[in-house]
Parts: sequence; structure tokens; C-alpha cells
Amino acid sequence: MTTADREPVYEVVWPLAPSAAAPTALASRSPDLAGKTIGELWDYLFKGEEIFPLIRRALAQRYPGVRFVDYETLGSTHGRDEAELAATLPALLRKHGCDAVISAVGA
Amino acid sequence: MLRAAAIAERAGVPSVSIVTTPFREQAAVVAKGVGMPALPIAEYPGVPMTDGPETVRAKVERLIDAIVDGLARPVETALTRAVEPAARDVVFRGTLDQVQEFFYARLWTDGLPVIPPTIPRVERFLEFADRSPAEVIGTLSPENRAATVWSIAVNGVMAGCRPEYMPLLIAVVEAIAEPEFRVQDAGSTPGWEPLIIVSGAVAKALDFNRGQGVMRVGRQANTSLGRFLRLYLRNVAGLRIPPGAGDKGSIAATFNVALAEDEDAAAEIGWTTFGQDQGFAKDDGAVTVQSVVSSSPPIYTAGTRALDHVQVLADVFGRACAYWSFTGMKYARWQPLLVIGPSIARVIAADGWTKDDVRAYLHENVTIPAREVERYAWHLGSTAFSLKALAESGALPPEYAGSGDPDRPVRVFPRAAWIGIVVAGDPGRNQSKGYVNNHIQGGRVSKRLALRL
Repeated sequence: MTTADREPVYEVVWPLAPSAAAPTALASRSPDLAGKTIGELWDYLFKGEEIFPLIRRALAQRYPGVRFVDYETLGSTHGRDEAELAATLPALLRKHGCDAVISAVGA
Repeated sequence: MLRAAAIAERAGVPSVSIVTTPFREQAAVVAKGVGMPALPIAEYPGVPMTDGPETVRAKVERLIDAIVDGLARPVETALTRAVEPAARDVVFRGTLDQVQEFFYARLWTDGLPVIPPTIPRVERFLEFADRSPAEVIGTLSPENRAATVWSIAVNGVMAGCRPEYMPLLIAVVEAIAEPEFRVQDAGSTPGWEPLIIVSGAVAKALDFNRGQGVMRVGRQANTSLGRFLRLYLRNVAGLRIPPGAGDKGSIAATFNVALAEDEDAAAEIGWTTFGQDQGFAKDDGAVTVQSVVSSSPPIYTAGTRALDHVQVLADVFGRACAYWSFTGMKYARWQPLLVIGPSIARVIAADGWTKDDVRAYLHENVTIPAREVERYAWHLGSTAFSLKALAESGALPPEYAGSGDPDRPVRVFPRAAWIGIVVAGDPGRNQSKGYVNNHIQGGRVSKRLALRL
């Protein structure tokens, strides 16, 4: 008989907990951004003030009529109460006619 | 940032998120947690805060295709849930060593051996809960899991708690599940760590250390309660350092043992307890949880007058907090904590000072040049930080806008009431210590214990 044979055996349970994440479909996409309105969501971190203008310029060159709702109009996304953001952001995007958003910078 | 994109997607607005390379794995955890694992991402390679303007420009140019792809290419989403074990499912059967290896390989431990969570052990904890094991206390992000009473007991077993700690474990999870605690940000790069503060007669009854070595491992109640919380954040919130993901603490720190106040010392000198400061009656059992991102050095103060002590506390605690004060100014919430040694508190109180007087002194006398606040904020990545703008928005009192002189002093502690004071530590030495809070991430939240002694 080995030492392992004499040792107690434990039947153990899972230390995680049930996932509350409900799988959700992404919004439908339009294949062409020409003439669309793009909202800028910025967390006011990591040089977004340099990055967003570069994106605006590049997309405007590629897609005629593309329009931007800048991050100052939509407000910072960082540090805000998530429930409050969820309650207000959709209406804000509708108000400004956003067809798509770019959210930056970080995770 | 990804959560804002998810809100837009739910509203029918397609999104793409710009994520820097070091955040890529954390982003995947967040995306899965919001139920959108395929949330489009455009990856900015590297670290923007160490890139010059030309490098930023070149990298953004290379991002454009990914941005277009994210906004315009249709994404198929699998709307099925992964099958996971039920609470009472036995997930493994083996010896102590085999259990450790099985759990460690799945990132279910903190790297230390754990007590095997068998059903009988879990049930012993539940006897002290008076709640249904299936009851959900809240949901914890980024992994977005339901914090059930059962899961609290399982992790309490694993952390080496005693079953009678169960009401404290539940109260701690209730605290971190509150929106103002912002557990979803507990994996942010500052690497902040929660600190539990235990109040009321329960601290003495459960043998919490309140005196010498109060913040050191060695006493089961303080140590295992602190360990439990870190373990729970790993297993249920999903905050794991590599080879896991979700926890982006850049250097970070290990768990704090739970802090218990020397309430007898506070009562002797006529000071309110920390629990009373949080709105509880003196004998109410309560836990408070808040973030700690760093501590001051040990602060030795001597003398027979209050001012002898508070001047040095202001110097050393103030300097420890000064660097990080921009975060409190930016988010208009910041709750540093000062642990004052009993012998020092006695001198201060004997001179007629209350805790509020100490708070007011710190508020009035600790300052930092405005230029330094803005410089430190920029280096962190708050590249749009402006004291003037914050004052104009009402987030800070008007005095922060000041004269415009970059060298003008501004208060390190914007609100005196935000400073917490606990009397604890070695009664035989004249030492205090301060703890720096990480602004709105890990905001101070207190919960009364469902426990009668």
C-alpha cells in the first residue's frame, strides 16, 4: 500500500459561481460608412485627444460624407456610474443620430 | 470603455473599441462578461503613453482597417451559454495534493494551498448564514458571475476561515457588490487591493487582532478574512493575474489582512469608533471595504500636545497621499485612511481634539503645487486633466481653479470628511500609518452584520 493509498480522499466542489452574462447579439452593421454619423466615446485616457482627430481625418478621406459627433459632445465614459451611462447613452446617441461609435482608449 | 461599447450595441449602434495591446486579454474577459465575446476590437500596438506624436500617428494609420472592419463587417454571435458545474456537483475527487494541483492548474487558488471545499465543510459554513445557499448577493464583474451564498461559503472554506466568520464573509461580498465599490475596476493597473475594516463587538468575540502587528498575517480572523476576499475576487469576479486575465494590476500588491479597530482605546479617550463614523451604533457589528493603493511609511510622532503629533501626521501622511491626490480630484471621491496608534490618539484627544479636528487640520494644512498635480495626472494617462476645468465643472471647489499660477498650492484632501480615522496598532509604541485610497475604484462601503453576540 502506498502513502497515497492511505491518504484521505476529498470530493470537492466548484469554487466559481454561475455566470450572469446573457449572450447578446451585436447590432447589425452597414457595409459602407459613407454618409454615416460616427460617435466618439472617450474615457479621457491615453492620448485620445491625439488619436481621435487622426481617425477622423483618415475616415473622412476614405468615406465621403462621413460625419463625427466628438467626444466632448458625448462626454467621458470613464468613472461614470454604469447604470446611469446605460440609461443615458442610448438616448444621446439617438439625439445625435449616431450610426456607429468608436470607443477608446484602453479596456 | 468596452462597457460603453456594449451599451451602444444593445441600443442597436455598432461599435468598435480601441484597445492597447497590454489590455487585449483583459478586454476579452470584459467582453465575455457583458455577453458579447465577439465585441469588435481594434488593437493599438504597445503603450501610447510612451509613444511620441509621430509614432501615435503611424500606429493610428495602421488601425484604420481594423476600425472599419469592426464597424462594417457583420458579426455572428453564438447565443448559447457554456455549460458549467452546478453548486453541489463534485468537480474532482483526490488526495490533498491532487486537489491542490487540480485547483492550481485551473487558476482557482491564490497560489497557496487551500482547504478542500467538500460539501460537508461548505454546509458547516452555511449553518452560520441563515440565508438560502442559492441566494444571489449581487453580480461581480468583469466576469459577471452571480455571488451566491454557496460560492461565498466555498471560498471561505478554501481561504481557511472558520464557519462562524460566515456573516462577515457575506457582508464583505455585499459591500463589494454595491455599485459605488466598482468591483469591475478592481483589475485596473494601479493594482489596488481591498481593505476590510471590522467594527463592533464582533471583532473581540471572533479574536481579531486589534493591537500590535494588526496588519500582519498571523491571526486567523484577520488573515483568513483578507485572504478570502482576494480569492473571491479571483474566482467570482474573474480577476486573475497571468497566466489568467482580468487583473491588470501592473505591479500590484498582495491581500491585506482585515483591520479591526481598538474600540476600547477609542472609547477610553472619548472618540467615536470608525463604525460610528460610518453611521452604525457603537456595538453594531459591521464591515467596511475600501481600496488601498499604497501606504505611508510608519509615522512616529512624539510630544504631549495634539499639535506635536498632527503636524508630523500631516507631513508624512500628506506626502504619501499627495502624489495620488489627482485621482481624487479627477473623480471627486477619495477616501484615504489614517490608522492612529492608541497612545498617540490619547494625547491628541487629551488636548481636546476630536477626530473631526484631526481631519480638518489635514484638510487645511496639506497642499501640493497645482503644477505637480497636473503633471502626475498626465503621466498616468489622464492626458486631458485640468484643475481649472474640474473646478469649473463643479467637481472641485472653485479654489482649485485659483489664480492660474501653476505653482499655487492646492489642497491634497479636497474634503475633510473623506478622511477615515481608525485607532489601532501597538499601544506600547507611538506609531501611526496611512493608507491611500484609489478614488472611486474601491470606494468605501459599509455593511451591518447579520449577527448577534
